[in-house]
Amino acid sequence: MTLQDFMPILPEMVLLATAVAVLMVDTFLGDKRWLTWVGLVGVLLAGAATYWLALQPPADFQDMAASDAYTAFFRLVILVVTGLGLLMAMNWLEAHGEQQGEYNALLLLAAIGMTLMAAATHMLTLFVALELFSLCLYILAGFERERASSGEAALKYLLLGAFSSALFLYGIALVYAATGALTFAGIAQKASLSPLFLAGVGLLIVGFGFKVAAVPFHMWTPDVYQGAPTPVTAYMSVATKAAAFAAFVRLFVGTLGVEKSAWVPALAALAVLTMVVGNLAALSQHSLKRMLAYSSIAHAGYVLVGLAAANTTGTAAVLFYLLVYAFMNLGAFAVVIALERQGEGDVTLSQMRGLARTHPLLAAAMAIFMFSLTGVPPFAGFFGKLYLFQAAVQANLTWLAVIGVISSAVSAYYYLNVLVQIYMADPETPPTLAWRPVLGLATLVAVVFVVGIGLFPDFWLQLALGGMRVILG
Amino acid sequence: MVLQAVFLITALLTLGSALMVVLHRNLFISALFLIASFFGVAVFYVLLEAEFLAVAQVLIYIGAIATLIVFAIMLSRGMMTGRTSPRNAQALWAAGGSLALGAALLYVVVFRVQWPVAEKAVPADMIQRLGTGLVTDYVVPFELASLLLMAALIGAVMIAREKEV
Repeated sequence: MTLQDFMPILPEMVLLATAVAVLMVDTFLGDKRWLTWVGLVGVLLAGAATYWLALQPPADFQDMAASDAYTAFFRLVILVVTGLGLLMAMNWLEAHGEQQGEYNALLLLAAIGMTLMAAATHMLTLFVALELFSLCLYILAGFERERASSGEAALKYLLLGAFSSALFLYGIALVYAATGALTFAGIAQKASLSPLFLAGVGLLIVGFGFKVAAVPFHMWTPDVYQGAPTPVTAYMSVATKAAAFAAFVRLFVGTLGVEKSAWVPALAALAVLTMVVGNLAALSQHSLKRMLAYSSIAHAGYVLVGLAAANTTGTAAVLFYLLVYAFMNLGAFAVVIALERQGEGDVTLSQMRGLARTHPLLAAAMAIFMFSLTGVPPFAGFFGKLYLFQAAVQANLTWLAVIGVISSAVSAYYYLNVLVQIYMADPETPPTLAWRPVLGLATLVAVVFVVGIGLFPDFWLQLALGGMRVILG
Repeated sequence: MVLQAVFLITALLTLGSALMVVLHRNLFISALFLIASFFGVAVFYVLLEAEFLAVAQVLIYIGAIATLIVFAIMLSRGMMTGRTSPRNAQALWAAGGSLALGAALLYVVVFRVQWPVAEKAVPADMIQRLGTGLVTDYVVPFELASLLLMAALIGAVMIAREKEV
């Protein structure tokens, strides 16, 4: 075994080195803000490694993890999200007096688990990667130790996460029992519609359903998203979805694609439930974080539509949507972080009142994110939904696309309600900002991408199609 | 014949103690039943000729994990004597759902599958193969598991540390 053989997992090794470096530097550094920049340099290096790998012919590491265009796409999404996550947390951690070293190291370790989820071509790698990033997120959810709701969020996430992991593991065991293989290639060869195999696949769907917060496996989401520190919520709402869907698509559309008649109806049903319940529950929320939690459930539903379509357009649309969603949702949470008052850990809708008068730029950014989440052209969110629903129509699931369009029309109510509060309502007390330059930078990056992807969707769609070809040949 | 009797008795003891873990009102006694249940699983491994797994099960699950659980309970205030109710408002639904899922899975696993019987005996150098496998073919998940432990360590330090103000 030579050094060359390790290249397919180079970005993960760079991230690991960075995480260790952050922990080491933490012990003898006075100004902890430098830790964020150390982490960011590592993320950029890992990005460079990913880019370099994308230029090489596809390779894999001992049938465990593959480095191909699909992995590269998700590595870039997750690295961008991790970079923005580091930036968004920097001022927040400082203001709350929390441990910057541990936070940044855990975020980087979570990123390793997530990129390996996308790369995994073996059930063992998949499961350990899943556990790695989940464990980091359990800890991060409880990071604000003074606030009881943060601890509650961590405990709830840990217990339900462990439960879902057990079901997922049982699913892997049954699939192994039915096929005698743990590599994706081996499973694809032996896939059949035997009852044992179907039971395993069903449990795998439940496990993934928990991680992407699909209804009816979503019960933990609102409490955890509301209770966790806002930068953590921002990170996990987008990164977990990207990582879990990355593995979901590779395993189902790629590996189990031959038997898709068995799982497409189940995923279509999940998609309908998730879109409808997520959007309806979001209507009546007063807490901005809770509303965004239900909105993230609804968005998981839209992505499931693309997954249920299980065709070329659908898979590319899933990739495209996860990229777009990362920027628009992170951006919306950046605004929440800016408005959050010390020690409260949440922002209510009425706290947004009159924001446009006092902070017009921030209000404009929030408007862009809300329009994009609704799916209004010319922002990126519109094209994301367009491709997803188009794929459903092509796969003869027109009814699914119709339900998707109707439920996203419902979602316009609560997204635009935020804008009504910002632009038209009079403030009770003028909003106060915990607004700092680094957080502003993160918001700006998110705005640039939401608008940029909306103006030039073709370039990004081609990238997604490149990743899709790996999955569907 | 003897083996089957041993299997049946162990199975009953394992399942019985697992049930008691969930149903007993005193958390400490639940933890003790958990140890009994772990031990039952170790016996199964012996019956399956997986001696190494049996030893690992005893060392790790009983020696480390169960001990940790017992310590955690003993160090938490009021846990030793307090009685908790394992039931809640959703107990009926949960029991029904779990039973249905369990029955469906059991039906599939027991009645609908032709399980292949291993032709060869377990090779004698099993442990060597396991060890080599962990650092060659399965090095990625193995190393990932060590990252998992590192994250858990960081988390433990984070939770336990006094906050500096």
